[in-house]
Amino acid sequence: MVRLPGWRGLETLKSPDVTLDGQPSGVGPDRAVAMIEVSGLRKSLRTGAATVEILRGIDFSVARGEFVAIMGASGSGKSTLLGLLAGLDNPTSGSVALNGMRISDLAEDRLALVRGKTIGFVFQSYQLIPTLTALENVLLPYELNDDRGGWRAGVERARTLLESVGLRERMDHYPVQLSGGEQQRVALARAFLLRPPIVLADEPTGNLDSANGAHVLELLLRLNREESTTLVLVTHDPALAAHAGRRITLSDGRVVSDETQGAALRQVSSSRSETRLGE
Amino acid sequence: MAKLSYATAGRIAMREMGSSKGRFAFVVLSVAIGVAALTGVRGFSSAFRATLLLRARSIMAADLAARTMLPLTVEERAGLRRLRAEGSQETQVTEMLSMASAAGSMNPLLVAVKAVDPKQYPFYGEVTLAPAIPLAQTLTDTTVAVGDDLLMRLHLRVGDSIRLGDRNFRISAVVENEPDRLSGMFAAGPRVLISRQALATTGLLTADSRVTRRYLFKLPPAGPGKALSDTAVARLREQVEALLPEAQISDYREANPALTRALDGATGLLSLMSLVAMVLGAVGVAMAMRSHLQQRLDSIAIMKALGAGSRQVIKIYLLQTLLLGAGGGVLGVVLGIGVQMAFPLLLARLLHLTPGLHLEPHAIALGLSAGLLTTLLFTLPPLLDLRDVRPILILRRSVEQTEDPFTERWLRHLSGSWAQLTASLLIIAALAVLATWVSDSRRVGWAFALGLVASLVALLLAAAATLWVLRQFLRGTAPGGERSRVPGWSGLRGAGLRLPPALRHGLANLYRPGNPSAALLAALGLGVMQIAAVYFVQRSIVNEMEVAAVGDLPNLFLMDMSHEEVGKVRKLLETEPMVHGAPEMIPVVSARLLQIDGQALEQRRAESAPSRPGRRAQRHRSPTLSLTWPPQPATPPPGDTVVQGRWWTAQQARDAARRPLIAVESREAKWLRVKPGASMTFSVEDQPMTAQVAAIYTVDSWHAFSRAGFVLPQPSLAGLPVVWYGGVHCDPKDTAALRQALYERFPTVTVIDVAATLEVIRQVLLQVIYVIQFLAAFSVFAGLVILASAIAGTRYRRIREVVVLKSLGATRKRIASIFSIEFAVLGLIAGLVGLVSANLLARWLLRHTLHFAYAFQPWGNLGAWLAVGAMTVAAGWLASHRVLGQTPLEVLREE
Repeated sequence: MVRLPGWRGLETLKSPDVTLDGQPSGVGPDRAVAMIEVSGLRKSLRTGAATVEILRGIDFSVARGEFVAIMGASGSGKSTLLGLLAGLDNPTSGSVALNGMRISDLAEDRLALVRGKTIGFVFQSYQLIPTLTALENVLLPYELNDDRGGWRAGVERARTLLESVGLRERMDHYPVQLSGGEQQRVALARAFLLRPPIVLADEPTGNLDSANGAHVLELLLRLNREESTTLVLVTHDPALAAHAGRRITLSDGRVVSDETQGAALRQVSSSRSETRLGE
Repeated sequence: MAKLSYATAGRIAMREMGSSKGRFAFVVLSVAIGVAALTGVRGFSSAFRATLLLRARSIMAADLAARTMLPLTVEERAGLRRLRAEGSQETQVTEMLSMASAAGSMNPLLVAVKAVDPKQYPFYGEVTLAPAIPLAQTLTDTTVAVGDDLLMRLHLRVGDSIRLGDRNFRISAVVENEPDRLSGMFAAGPRVLISRQALATTGLLTADSRVTRRYLFKLPPAGPGKALSDTAVARLREQVEALLPEAQISDYREANPALTRALDGATGLLSLMSLVAMVLGAVGVAMAMRSHLQQRLDSIAIMKALGAGSRQVIKIYLLQTLLLGAGGGVLGVVLGIGVQMAFPLLLARLLHLTPGLHLEPHAIALGLSAGLLTTLLFTLPPLLDLRDVRPILILRRSVEQTEDPFTERWLRHLSGSWAQLTASLLIIAALAVLATWVSDSRRVGWAFALGLVASLVALLLAAAATLWVLRQFLRGTAPGGERSRVPGWSGLRGAGLRLPPALRHGLANLYRPGNPSAALLAALGLGVMQIAAVYFVQRSIVNEMEVAAVGDLPNLFLMDMSHEEVGKVRKLLETEPMVHGAPEMIPVVSARLLQIDGQALEQRRAESAPSRPGRRAQRHRSPTLSLTWPPQPATPPPGDTVVQGRWWTAQQARDAARRPLIAVESREAKWLRVKPGASMTFSVEDQPMTAQVAAIYTVDSWHAFSRAGFVLPQPSLAGLPVVWYGGVHCDPKDTAALRQALYERFPTVTVIDVAATLEVIRQVLLQVIYVIQFLAAFSVFAGLVILASAIAGTRYRRIREVVVLKSLGATRKRIASIFSIEFAVLGLIAGLVGLVSANLLARWLLRHTLHFAYAFQPWGNLGAWLAVGAMTVAAGWLASHRVLGQTPLEVLREE
């Protein structure tokens, strides 16, 4: 595997491998180290004169190496939560910390750096840049975040990843020339290019048929295992969530359940949820 | 933040450009058309101006002329030698009245003698002789050339001899035309053209003879194909003014006021066109880049999600902008050179002149930097907007919206963002610098830049207000529950006012979030303002020039008619079919000027030039001046315009016998240093008369009255001996016949034929008219292309809307009518605001910088307004045509 220069500081963020069924391989999730720490997270949006509350106070933490599925019906606030975890947006109140660093108060450019070096993304609608080829899309995070080590190293890594997701022959195709499954595989390769300690996936199979969906999921989990990342996956599909070691369910902007696989309710983060569940 | 090297940023920028060439072609073309119009119009106009100025020079046969009645002092001669040593050429023309007779006859005739150095005179233009032999061979020590009226009066032919002073001279040719006939002395009597050497042998030049000397100057050439710069002429003028303080000095720009005005007007207009081309190109770029960046919002959000900071994103798109600007600039310069080469070919039949191709590095540098700078400047605001693109866009479309996103965004930018404010100030300053560079005037540059900003603000405010009103109106008539904020409008719905769905949708489209209506309104309004301003200014200048070019202006001047003769001459002229219009007759009373403001003339002159002792002896004689009265008691004579003071009223004219008033021609006033309110004392028939200066006026040099420098009300001159002068317009081909007819009936009346010179001027004016109309049409066309492409740039935004509407069963016709309404409203609002601004701009330019009359053109404005509406719809249609033709699936697949 090609080692990218300039990443030594981030080595400590690396997580151990996770198996396909969501169980940690080797030592398993390190519960002592919270990779993601969310507390009192609220988000409201102003549309015209009205204000809509999307997240109404969320608390939870994700350990290093953990594979967490966030579930909920449409409109429950899953994607907004994912956006806040990734520092794509600022919360109205509350905070998000990644590996002990509070990102909610960071300036835009600092936040961009954290995003670039800490997080890999996989989106439901792929979010490839239509004017770039598959290879160029995968290479983009490298170009945007560090190219001091030489372009060639980045290209090599991008090629390796594309080959590993079965797109060796499609590297020079534009997104419009690729099927949905292929586009999502490009997005997977892109997400893992910089070996981020955290990968966030938003309904990664939501736009795919079942065969393609299964293939992409398998690749996602394999890459996750090979690259040793902490994986947070947003989905409304229980079958997909079943692969995760832990499931957090949202409803109406609140956490209503937080379960580890095969276990009963393990933890309810917000006091409101506790009250409601107690009822 | 991770460093993004220029190489990587450039690579990303290039990759993106390579993958959507069609879209970027718009940006490059907008810049290219703007730059091409700028370099093409500028290059051609400088070549054309150089050609025209050559014609203007030919009217005075020199770059500069100094006229004096006094012989030069030793110092003055030394000064002239110094000027010659510095490279200027100089020749003297001596003009005087004398008597001539056929050799061997005792029948003398008053003649206007003009002595020149045939080796040097004329510096520009040529003397037309019959037979056509070179002037140097015609004017020798023993030969002269004469006017044909001299031959008529003395019954002579070419080859015969006349006696002039102590000597006989053989007539070697007839003078048909002299280039400087209009700027030379207008004296009674036929022309005798003689060499200065020969004149010296006649004994006519004595210390007491009344001689007018004109010193003609020619500057060294600026270089092959290059026009002499105005500053070089101005410098020479300063030197000559210092050297000959008592001389009347005029340069080629003053050779003929009508021509000078035409040239100044044309130059001003051409500068305006260049500025407009530049700004229109910039508008096109701004719209195209805005649309492009709008399209790239998703990609930018993705890049930000992948770790790109705002600075990195801006770096990428800044590089892209620079590449596009540079590409457009280079293409524009090439096109501009093509335009420069094509103009003379297109105009060759109309103009009969072929200005050479001027490939000036200066003009090319100007074109390139204007292209690059305007692209950069006008892309700065949308580029800075990229900072506001939030990566969350890729997860959630509904990013927070305010009531009026556009206004709010601008207010936020202006109040909260130093970068935006600094960028805005930078844009204004850089625009002013560019405008100064293009127009060669700092005043015009700043006025243009600030005017542009003011118009832009007005347009944005008008756009915001219009959109707000539309929104409230639609709320008032909407079937839903929203209430209009305008009291009473909510009741419109109850009153049964229902808008057809297509109209409602079309109007609502204008203020929908994400619609660039306000920006498009501003761009379109700005474009309309610029194009219409060019058109209005062009119309005003052309109107005035057409009057000058086709009017029945005098081309034959009659001299020395007695009071008894004038009525008969007028009658004869009125019955001649070849005469057009009423003849102008001017009464002239000769007077000597004694004092100004109670100060003797010699004393005044001594004060102004005390160090010129060589002159004392010459100053004993006061100048003889011609006084006249106007045809209408209380208005200036035809062709005269008051520039200082006020013309007298009818009542003041009636009182003028007791309290004489006088109006002085501006150049005479400058020479004599008099202003309104000064008093001038004349000696008329040895009786002193003091008149108060009421007004200073300029002449147009077309009318007979242009020859008179001092006008008084008739009662002031009543009872004094009068000689009449006249001017009449005759078909240029019939002037000889009319002169013959006049001579037969009135042999003592001198007729000066300036038809040939006036024809030259008329031709030049027509050429100027053609050229500025052609260039204005070109500018308007280029502007329309850019605006159309700006409108077309919005088509990408429409694709999704068309897909949704089609999926919901809307027919093409329905969608087209929705778009038509949207575009028509957009065009009409932009047209209205743009035309109001255009009229204000044209009025300011015409009155304050070009000094032409501004007249509001109601029909022109109405036509332009409707045309803008129609063309906006047409451009929108053309742009949406392909979008409408696509099936929803094609588009979805592309997305």
